[in-house]
Amino acid sequence: MDNCFDFSSIGKRMPYTVPDDFFDKMEENVCASLKGKRKVMIKRLFLAAAAAIALFFVLKATLFKSESIATDDFASVELAFDNLSTDDQDYLIAVYEEDEFINELELN
Amino acid sequence: MTTSDKEIVSAMREDAEKGFRLLMAQYKEPLYWHIRRLVVSHDDAQDTVQEAFIRIFRSFSQYSEPHSLRAWIFRIATNEALRVIERRRKDTMPIETVFDAEADSYINYSDLEAVRLQKAILSLPPKQQLAFNLRYYDEMDYDEIAAIADTTAASAKMNYHHAKERIIKYMNSND
Repeated sequence: MDNCFDFSSIGKRMPYTVPDDFFDKMEENVCASLKGKRKVMIKRLFLAAAAAIALFFVLKATLFKSESIATDDFASVELAFDNLSTDDQDYLIAVYEEDEFINELELN
Repeated sequence: MTTSDKEIVSAMREDAEKGFRLLMAQYKEPLYWHIRRLVVSHDDAQDTVQEAFIRIFRSFSQYSEPHSLRAWIFRIATNEALRVIERRRKDTMPIETVFDAEADSYINYSDLEAVRLQKAILSLPPKQQLAFNLRYYDEMDYDEIAAIADTTAASAKMNYHHAKERIIKYMNSND
């Protein structure tokens, strides 16, 4: 191999340069970026926690509402049934007792 | 591990922010130049070194003695640089084109011999390139190079010598 090239002629010299004060500013940029990212992370965590709390209250409100609706519905049906005359009550019971569709649902 | 690395590690454990400032003071220049030699462009090197430092800070709890702190730091920086190189390759903008386009304000294109040496280094396979840079510029021993390049000391030594031969061949060619 032709060994004309000698590493010592160039040493560690490189064609690369950097802007003035680059290394001084780099340290500050890294720290600022770390703080910025930390703030974003805290904000995200806070938003996630807030969203979870909001979801909890929405679900809670929805569940209790549907429970109260169901309770209200049964109460009003019972009240309406009680207000009927004895004949009408007997008639309705007879009709529902013979209803095949309702009976089948109950069996299932 | 050097004395200053021991100081950095204990400072990081006592007060992460203070320790990190010590770490940056010690490693900002060698790490920047290591990355710069791999990614070539100043803008890429600036972004990459910043990302590397953020990663170092966040994952410091994963560093364990008695492993070399320098090797651990350089490994993180190397991985960041390789990610950038891979992204550039996907964008069909290979790193070497920076020299051809003369587009980077922070490259002294008039230093022909220095530009040619960097081109020769960039023409090497990644492992040889890494072994050469870490040995020639950072004067690391083969064990440290092996830890950074995820290889053995013997393989790192072989890569360095092959790299040197290929660089000499490149520099002596008339291209």
